[in-house]
Amino acid sequence: MAANYWESTQRKHWLFTKDELAAMRAKLESDDPGLVSSFPLPQLRHLNIYFNQQSPTYLGFTLEINRLGKRMGLRQQALATAQVYIKRFYTRVEIRRTNPHHVLVTALYLACKMEECPQHIRLMANEARGFWPTDFQSQTEVARIGECEFYLISEMSSHLIVHSPYRTLTSLQGELGLAQEDVNLAWSVINDHYMTDLPLLHPPHVIALTAILLALVLRQDPSGRLPGTAASASGLVAASAALAQAQAQAQARAAMMAGGGQTVPGLAPQSSSGLQAMLPPQSPAGEGPADGNKNPRMAKVHRFAAWLSDSNIDIEAMVDCTQELISFYECHEQYNDKNTREQINRFVKARGLDK
Amino acid sequence: MMYGTNRARNQKAETSYRGYQRSNAGPLNYQTKVRITDRYKVIGFISSGTYGRVYKATGRQGQTGEFAIKKFKPDKEGEAVVNYTGISQSAVREMALCSELRNHANVIRLIEIILEDKCIFMVFEYAEHDLLQIIHHHTQTPRHPIAPGTIKSIMYQLLQGVQYLHTNWVLHRDLKPANIMVTSSGEVKIGDLGLARVFKQPIHNLYMGDKVVVTIWYRAPELLLGSKHYTTAIDLWAVGCIFAELLSLRPIFKGEEAKMDSKKTVPFQKHQMQKIVDVMGLPTRERWPLLASMPEYSQLSTLQPPLLSTNTSHSHGGHHPYGHRSQQQPPASQNTHGNLQKWYHQTTVSTPLTSLGAEGYKLLASLLEYDPEKRLTAADALVHPFFTSPTSTPLASLNSNTANSTSQGTGAAAVNWSPTNCFEGLKNETYPCRRVSQDDNDIGFGTGTGNQSGSRVNTAAAGTGTGLVMGQAQSQVQAMGGSLGNIGGHGHGHGHGQMGGGGMGQGMGGLGQGHGGMAQMAGMKRMHDAAAAAAAAAAVAAQQSHPNKRMKGSQG
Repeated sequence: MAANYWESTQRKHWLFTKDELAAMRAKLESDDPGLVSSFPLPQLRHLNIYFNQQSPTYLGFTLEINRLGKRMGLRQQALATAQVYIKRFYTRVEIRRTNPHHVLVTALYLACKMEECPQHIRLMANEARGFWPTDFQSQTEVARIGECEFYLISEMSSHLIVHSPYRTLTSLQGELGLAQEDVNLAWSVINDHYMTDLPLLHPPHVIALTAILLALVLRQDPSGRLPGTAASASGLVAASAALAQAQAQAQARAAMMAGGGQTVPGLAPQSSSGLQAMLPPQSPAGEGPADGNKNPRMAKVHRFAAWLSDSNIDIEAMVDCTQELISFYECHEQYNDKNTREQINRFVKARGLDK
Repeated sequence: MMYGTNRARNQKAETSYRGYQRSNAGPLNYQTKVRITDRYKVIGFISSGTYGRVYKATGRQGQTGEFAIKKFKPDKEGEAVVNYTGISQSAVREMALCSELRNHANVIRLIEIILEDKCIFMVFEYAEHDLLQIIHHHTQTPRHPIAPGTIKSIMYQLLQGVQYLHTNWVLHRDLKPANIMVTSSGEVKIGDLGLARVFKQPIHNLYMGDKVVVTIWYRAPELLLGSKHYTTAIDLWAVGCIFAELLSLRPIFKGEEAKMDSKKTVPFQKHQMQKIVDVMGLPTRERWPLLASMPEYSQLSTLQPPLLSTNTSHSHGGHHPYGHRSQQQPPASQNTHGNLQKWYHQTTVSTPLTSLGAEGYKLLASLLEYDPEKRLTAADALVHPFFTSPTSTPLASLNSNTANSTSQGTGAAAVNWSPTNCFEGLKNETYPCRRVSQDDNDIGFGTGTGNQSGSRVNTAAAGTGTGLVMGQAQSQVQAMGGSLGNIGGHGHGHGHGQMGGGGMGQGMGGLGQGHGGMAQMAGMKRMHDAAAAAAAAAAVAAQQSHPNKRMKGSQG
């Protein structure tokens, strides 16, 4: 949110390559192999989903009490920042040495302060006790959060300002001519990316642009000129997605080959046609009864493509983001909340971290 | 501090933070890895405030130079640790912002932060002086003005620092002489970011977070009139006030603060506003189009017009305190400046300050502009003729028909000044060093023994009103954990302010979206492969078509 991203601590200290991230995590685990093998945990993304899903419920409840519940933008920002705090913290500290619920509450508490929506520590503690009675059972939970706050800040080297993709998204809304629905979908994609490693791997603007790309592509809706009809959005999306899938795949392959070194005439060299490759040709079914003009949504994607190709944006990074997100949505299918919760509670109890 | 094109790899943190480790005894006993007293040797005590205390120190482990260590105490004096309420929001802000803003000569540089027990130690570079102390020195007998070159340099460096903060989307919100440090080599450094905060878009009702900001004498008129959507312009008003104070050695608008009533409503600061009106004249809607939309607009009618200037400012032929009244009117802003020009003349006449000339007045008037939208920005101020023109125009020529430097026969000489050293060229001026007291060198405190040091009264430092560094006692918000309506303490010596702090803040609102559920992504799932492949393809294509174009995306 703050200051200047290019000179930020986020860019200088909290962006890693995948290898670096893996090495840091391996090092944490190798420090105590016995601990790791005694308490198996779900894959990291599932833990992230757990944190992600616990946080809003918990925070939402807290904020409602403060009549802040309606201020979703603010709430989202604090939630996002808290999730980044948790991610950063667990690159430095083995999760099995902590009580993740303490870390979660503390990260939210700190993030709310940082994002200028401070909540009283006592309120946070009381809500936490209601939410996880076994982890916050004693009367000392305020001190516990206070202590954990030091721990968190210390491990994060006091680097508390987090730049989020939301701002890039909103600032580009006008320039890219994004409809509110595009923004909403991109916003959701950004929400979801906090359940992946992406915040530690890529700058926020790359993530925002990827989210916009996905939103534009996914909302390509041949029937888009009949908005608000009873044919619900999900049906249309599903239909168009299925349609697009078949068509885009073939073209994408061609484009990828072109990207592999050979120039396919009429594809890449055109300056403003970067995204043409991924666009399905106008389908007869999708044309609708109208005059056969280009689908306005296509124009939007084209405009975005032109804009991207004019930017010196790290396209490789966008590709990687896209793949991470897609694979995350697949992995989300296998998420088991109960199992995750149990595995966390197991090491917390066994190691007395709830006392 | 490398800003290479490559991503930083996090290999080398600039600071060595001392983290906490869980001891084997139990989950609650975080042990500090390194203690402040292992790394630093405290030379003496500098000042104290509601946030804690500031010490002067040297390094024990080979660090060069001197340091100012700001210690945030964990609790209000005398309260048990049981009532610990988390780190104050101002400490969190200062830690966060100082960690980011470490790359400018005119902002006090954070060396490291050490967390130990329940105390936070922020280690800063040491600055021997501050503007309050420098001003105070010049009021001592014989009272004598600050050298013009020193003032010019201070202003230039101060504006550089402010510009740096503003381009990094940070509002300082508490600029005043006591918060402007000066090193022994004449470098000016903005200190105390405890009230600073980020204002990046949308500039959204910063008012909700901290209802009252800026020590009252330096508080901009839009704040006094209750504006809730204030901007960087509030810092520039404060810079204008500081400029005036450097010239006259007194706060230009020395009002008395109306206290908050029991309902915690913010009162209209009538006395302060009257002080401004006395010099600047009443604000008008012509000069300040949005004036009538200010919440406290109606209060303006309760103020007295300035004694001398109301008539003259509207009748151009009237008596003018000095010089010739011009037939050819200077820019529109001239008329409503009330007595400021007179104030400037009286302050600078018959002193070396006359050499600052008409440009000095114009800069001052542009900083003390009522309308925040018209007020000079830091960037504009830095290219003001006051700094850029080789010689100064005599003030008298401002209103002369034949405005040129020769007509008055008092052509002002160039003021020698350095953009990096405000003491350059000074011969007969020796500023005293910051007072450091030996009474309390007990910076740390042993685990479990409680903090004895905090309760001591240090008369040496508190009595003089000088020697305060990094935000003295006055008006530090202690927004402990965001509790409603905390009132900051009073300062001593110079300036006092009262801050209602840390209420239920509303920060920057974003869009109104909530957390998007997975449901929205239903269509996406089906498109995984296609979308990924397509994105990749598009990406490659886009990259190929313009491999070397400049990134134009804005990073938010």
